[in-house]
Amino acid sequence: MNRKILNIVVNGESHQVLIEPHWTLLQVLRNEIGMMGTKENCLEAECGVCTVLLDGKAINSCILLAGQVEGCSITTIEGIGDPEHLHPLQEAFIECGAVQCGYCIPGMILTAKSFLDENPGCRPSRDEIREAIAGTLCRCTGYRKIIDAVATAADRIALSGAKQ
Amino acid sequence: MSAHTHRVAGHRLPRRDGVGKVTGKHVYAADFKLPGMLYGRVLRSTRAHALIKKIDTSQAAAIAGVRGIITSADIPQIRYGTAVRDTTVFATDRALFIGHAIAAVAATSLEIAERALAAIEVEYEDLPPLFDPEDALESDIRIHPDWETYKALPIISRNRNIAGQARIRVGDAEAAFAKAYKVYEHRFSTALQHPGYTEPRVATADWDANGIVTVWCNTQLPFDTQTTLAEILDLPAARVRVTVPGIGGGFGGKLRIGVEHFAALLARKTARPVKVMSTSEEELTAALPRQASIVLLKTAVNKQGHLLARSGRIIVDCGAYAGSGPGTAAIALQVMAGPYKTGALAFESIAVYTNKVHSGSFRAPAGPMANFAMECQIDMIAKDLGLDPLEMRLRNVVKEGDPGPSGEIHRSVSIEECLRKAADAIGWHDRNPEPGRGKGIACSWWMTTGGSSGVYVKINPDGSATLVSGAVEIGTGAITGAAQILAEELSLDLTDVNVTGVDTQAAPFDYGAQGSRTTFSVGNACLAAAAELRRQMFELAAEQLEAPIEDMKLQDKHVVAGNKSISIAELARISRLAGGGLIAHGTAISPAPAYDPTRVQNHPLPVWNTPSYHAHAVDLSVDQATGKVTINRYVVAQDVGYAINPTYIEGQIEGGVAQGIGQALSEEIVYQDGRVMNANLTDYKMPTAMDVPEIESIIVECPSAAGPYGAKGVGEPPCIEPPAAIGNAIAAATGCWPNSLPMTAEKIAAAMQVQHS
Repeated sequence: MNRKILNIVVNGESHQVLIEPHWTLLQVLRNEIGMMGTKENCLEAECGVCTVLLDGKAINSCILLAGQVEGCSITTIEGIGDPEHLHPLQEAFIECGAVQCGYCIPGMILTAKSFLDENPGCRPSRDEIREAIAGTLCRCTGYRKIIDAVATAADRIALSGAKQ
Repeated sequence: MSAHTHRVAGHRLPRRDGVGKVTGKHVYAADFKLPGMLYGRVLRSTRAHALIKKIDTSQAAAIAGVRGIITSADIPQIRYGTAVRDTTVFATDRALFIGHAIAAVAATSLEIAERALAAIEVEYEDLPPLFDPEDALESDIRIHPDWETYKALPIISRNRNIAGQARIRVGDAEAAFAKAYKVYEHRFSTALQHPGYTEPRVATADWDANGIVTVWCNTQLPFDTQTTLAEILDLPAARVRVTVPGIGGGFGGKLRIGVEHFAALLARKTARPVKVMSTSEEELTAALPRQASIVLLKTAVNKQGHLLARSGRIIVDCGAYAGSGPGTAAIALQVMAGPYKTGALAFESIAVYTNKVHSGSFRAPAGPMANFAMECQIDMIAKDLGLDPLEMRLRNVVKEGDPGPSGEIHRSVSIEECLRKAADAIGWHDRNPEPGRGKGIACSWWMTTGGSSGVYVKINPDGSATLVSGAVEIGTGAITGAAQILAEELSLDLTDVNVTGVDTQAAPFDYGAQGSRTTFSVGNACLAAAAELRRQMFELAAEQLEAPIEDMKLQDKHVVAGNKSISIAELARISRLAGGGLIAHGTAISPAPAYDPTRVQNHPLPVWNTPSYHAHAVDLSVDQATGKVTINRYVVAQDVGYAINPTYIEGQIEGGVAQGIGQALSEEIVYQDGRVMNANLTDYKMPTAMDVPEIESIIVECPSAAGPYGAKGVGEPPCIEPPAAIGNAIAAATGCWPNSLPMTAEKIAAAMQVQHS
């Protein structure tokens, strides 16, 4: 085995992990660090369930080699809120009925977060939201309530930003 | 009853598992792992039809980290299956399709397991394959040469490659055709469609010291999986425990054994826990998709457009094993009859074997296939007669008390209301607002599948309730709906109801998360359990309050009798001391309605329970050069009987329509010479957020007699009408009907070109 050390920050915590060169970031997050909220499906960057934030930007962790993220900061679904302190997106997804089976939801929420963070204070149109989340497949919802949730969260985030 | 009189039922309350799902805490079967767990992978056939001359696993077994390899030679020789016991775990002496399981490997890592698969040598001798279902009906080639020896449900004929056959006959169709004003005949075809759940099929199995195997998996039917696994493993069912940690979608694709048997057999072989998860390629080549079908439909009408007779045949391509094919094909017969009064019917279904992937029971099995043919033909006839398609439907729809195809009586009928509401909402008066733009409508009916449900409910000393059910929450919100009913009946809040995971060892039997039945049936079981708990609490309260039971009621988490009251929590604490605590077993089953058995031959679901009625209307534009369809608006009017939670009913409608749009316009597992050409999620085209319009739901409530508070089944219907409604709208926009699914831009453009030339 040709293992090497990877230094990585996940949800604000530093990790030092011994990895094999062919391991993906998804494998490291799920198998080595235990962030099981990052989901696994197609492994070909086609479905989006494995989406995490790499230095704040949404990426498909299933096709990114772990060795490429040395020194980077990763945010997973566990890093943006917890049951007692939900992120506005997490809150809105529940309120709007945007969650059914839920398997795509961590990736969907992180994709939406990346989009909203890139456009601080904006209240995106429904078409803009559609385009932003088009890379993540959801088979349960038909997307309408997911768009409702992202729009609701965007409004609240914009409002709280304006107050500050 | 309505939401106005209920505190919990009928309200848009958040689902009980929502917080876990948005925070990543919810554990799915794919997330499950055990210490020392091995990883299993399956070797699959590269030949569509071939004798297996030799399997050499010796090189694979020598690879470091490989812990076990199994083939057909290592396991009990069992054939299993629902309609026909034709299925084996591995190909035995012959491979029947590309993707057929040949062997399975367990290793210390997935990479090693994959290396081992590549090292297994299989020697094949090709046989002539059959890919076309109509060829398979005529050919002398036999896909199952021993078919006559298989156990099966009663079958009309075992000729050639027929896996199942059913008929519905009403009146004298031939006589009606002979004297009709006009007779129309059309042929339609539909494609293989993957259920498209985002969590692949996955199972982890482990054997304990008592010889009991536990399987953690994402099945929709834990009890059916338990029974089937017991057969495959040749064990009593009590030694198989199936538990579902969480499930990332199912849509009927996870009803039957997927990878659970590979995990259990590999775990037995290696004496270690083994996890097996399907790859995307396996999902698209070896899962349980919706069958492709061919529908031939003949209809006789009078001058006014009344339906005099319909005859027809649906040929369902089961693939290499019957799977759900015979039942699916049979259900098509009721869908072809539709919510219409027709003088005479003569329908036949045929399920046929081919050398392709074996198929399953994707959401509303047969619904969209048969409805596409049936409802497009209504529009074709209306056009020929110069009738408005809505008017043609209104002249023929069933009314309260009319007989259905099996001779049952239609009750709580709302089809006219659904049609009128959908048409009004889409602006039916203006069907062609501009060139290249048209509106279409389609309607259907569908059953609420029966089967029994049991629940245990106990009241905890804090006054909360625990609901133990064998029904899996597959994402629909069905268990939240059942919990709302339970909370309503016990005067609790929804958040007072805790729902446990499903475990066949601990939970009472449930027929499973299938057939639009979960909220309906588990809800009825909750009603029964709540009635028993009220009895127990009132008896106990009678001693405490010194009040007569007939004066008692539950109100705001208390038993109240006049001006006296005691909390449910207090009663639960007293009951623990008095003996055993407050606990109830509630059960429910909906008996099938009375019908005329002489009309129905060899049909596994000869009459439909508690049918629902619905209509879809769509407004779309077709690019005149490319044939590309853009859906402008989509409206659904669906009768749900009683809306237990309108938010999740809308969720079912919106999601079902999205799947239907996929089936209508883009989704097809494409076969060429027996090989799937698009076994990945880029080339298998499911709708993205850019492809699905804002679906508008109109919830109609025409209460049923059998459902909780009058509810009817909700989950499957929304995916039935989209192909027909979209097909009819394309015809309104272009003047031509693409009669084969998916109606790709290419097919529409070609049809327009033929029309112009």
